[in-house]
Amino acid sequence: MNIEEKLAVLNYKTDPTYPHITVNPSICETCPDHFCTFACPARCYTLIDGKLNFKYEDCVECGTCFVACSHGSVKWTNPKGGQGIKYKLG
Amino acid sequence: MSEFDAIVVGAGPAGTSAASKMASSGMNVLLVERGDPPGSKNVSGGILWGKDLSKLYPDWEKTAPLERFITNKVTGFLTEDSSISIDFKTKRFERQRTGYSVLRTKLDGWLAKKAKDSGATVITGITVDGLARDGNKVIGVRQENDVITSDLVVLAEGANPRIAIDEGLRQPINDHDVAIGIKQVFKFSEQTINERFNLRNGAGFAGEYSLGFLNNGVKAGGFLYTNKDTISLGVVIDIFDLRKDNSTYSFDIMEKFASHPYIAPYIEGGQLQEYSAHLVCEGGIDYVPKLYGNGYLIAGDSAGFSFSNGMMIQGMNYAIASGIAAGETAISAKESNDYSESMLSSYEKKLSSSEVLMDMRNFRGIQNVTWSPLVHEFIPKFTEGILYNMFNETGEPKKHLFEIALENFAGSKYDRKSLVLDLYRMMRRM
Repeated sequence: MNIEEKLAVLNYKTDPTYPHITVNPSICETCPDHFCTFACPARCYTLIDGKLNFKYEDCVECGTCFVACSHGSVKWTNPKGGQGIKYKLG
Repeated sequence: MSEFDAIVVGAGPAGTSAASKMASSGMNVLLVERGDPPGSKNVSGGILWGKDLSKLYPDWEKTAPLERFITNKVTGFLTEDSSISIDFKTKRFERQRTGYSVLRTKLDGWLAKKAKDSGATVITGITVDGLARDGNKVIGVRQENDVITSDLVVLAEGANPRIAIDEGLRQPINDHDVAIGIKQVFKFSEQTINERFNLRNGAGFAGEYSLGFLNNGVKAGGFLYTNKDTISLGVVIDIFDLRKDNSTYSFDIMEKFASHPYIAPYIEGGQLQEYSAHLVCEGGIDYVPKLYGNGYLIAGDSAGFSFSNGMMIQGMNYAIASGIAAGETAISAKESNDYSESMLSSYEKKLSSSEVLMDMRNFRGIQNVTWSPLVHEFIPKFTEGILYNMFNETGEPKKHLFEIALENFAGSKYDRKSLVLDLYRMMRRM
C-alpha cells in the first residue's frame, strides 16, 4: 500500500479557514535539503518542479516537521478546537 | 479570585490522572482537551506497563478498555533476510499481569470519563492558545480572546508541547530529543490473532525489534503488539540519522518493516484500519525541562517522561505517575493556599523518589546505546552471520564457535577497540 492509500483510511475534520501549519516560501525556496519531504509521515511536504508544496489538510499533527525544519520556515500551531485529524483507535 | 483551583491542559494519561486526583479531593478543576472526543488526537504503541492506575481506580483492570495482557515478550533484530530474537513466554505474566496492550482513543476516553466522575469539569474540542500571566506568575490560560483564570495550570499536552515551547517553559526540540513514531493498525478476528501468535484467553504478544536492514546509517526500531481483534504495527525512527541520510522517506521505513519476510505473515490479510504518527520522547533525563514554576507544573510527555533501554519501553505509566504526583502537589498547595514556585517544587521531590525520575537519572545516556550503530547495525549482522554459519550444513568440516565469530567479526566494519568500548558501555548502561 502506498502512503496516499494509507492516508485515505483516516478521518479528518478539516478547517478550511485555518491552516494550522504554515511555511515561509522564501525560506523554502533557498532550502538546501528539504528534509521535511523525507521526515513528514503524512507526505504533506512534496517537491513539485523543485518547488516546495505543502498541504496541511493531510496533517496528522505529529509535530515532526517542526523538528525537521532547521531553517525556521515551519510555523506550527494546533488546529482550532475539535478540527483536524480524528483518530478512532489511536 | 480565580475561576478554577486548577486548569489541566490535555486529557491524556497525565492530564486525566492529575485532574482526577485533584477533583476527588474536592478541588475545582477544569480539564481542557483539544480533541473531540478525548483520545482522538492521541497515539501510543502501545503497551501500558505497571499498576499506577490502581492508585486512582482500584478496579481499573476490570473496567478500563484494555485489549490483552502481555504474556509473550519478544526482543529481536531483523536483517534483510533474517530474524533473531529472544522469545520470552511465561505463565507468571498470566498470574501477575504487568502489561496491557491498549488503543488510546478508547483508553483516553475512559480516563477522561473517570476524571469527570471524580468531579472535574471536562471540556473537549477546545484548543488552549497559551498561558495567561501576571508578572512572573501563571494565572490561567488564554483561549481565543478570552482568559480562564486558575491558581494552577498543569501542562499535559503530550510529546508536541506547543504551549510549553511557545511560552519558553521548555527548550526547543532537537533531533536527539524525539523520534518519529508511525503506526498502522490492522483488523483481524480475535481467533486469527490467537492462532497466529499462540495465544489463549485474552493473552497478548509484544514484540520489539531493531531494524538492521536500513541503509546509510538510518536507524529505527519496530514494534508489533496484539490487541483484542487488531494488531498495532509501528516504527520509531531516529531523526538525526534520517536527516544525515536525507534520501529515505519515514513512511517508506514503516512499509519496509510491514513487508519484512518475518513480519508480513503476521499481518497478512489484515485490513488497514488506521495509519497514525506521533513524536516519541527519546532525549532521556537531559530533555526533561524545569518541571514547575509560579502557578504551573509540567507532566507526562510534555515533560519528556519516557523510558527505553531497548528491553522496556515505557511512557504511559510515567505519564500517570507524574499526573498523580502533580495532583498531590496541587492538593498541598491548595491546603496552604500557596502556588508559588517554592511550594510547587515538592513536585520534583516526589518524582525524584519515584520510578519516573529515578529511572531516567539512573539510565542517563541510555539513548546513546539504544540508538548506536552497535545495536542497529553490528549486532544484527554479526549475530546473523554466526547463526547462519553455525546452523548451515555445508558438508565441510565444522568449525568452533570462536572461529566462526572471528571470521564474522573480520567481515564487519568494527575495529576491535571500539567494539570492546561500545559493548562495555552497553552492558553498563542497559
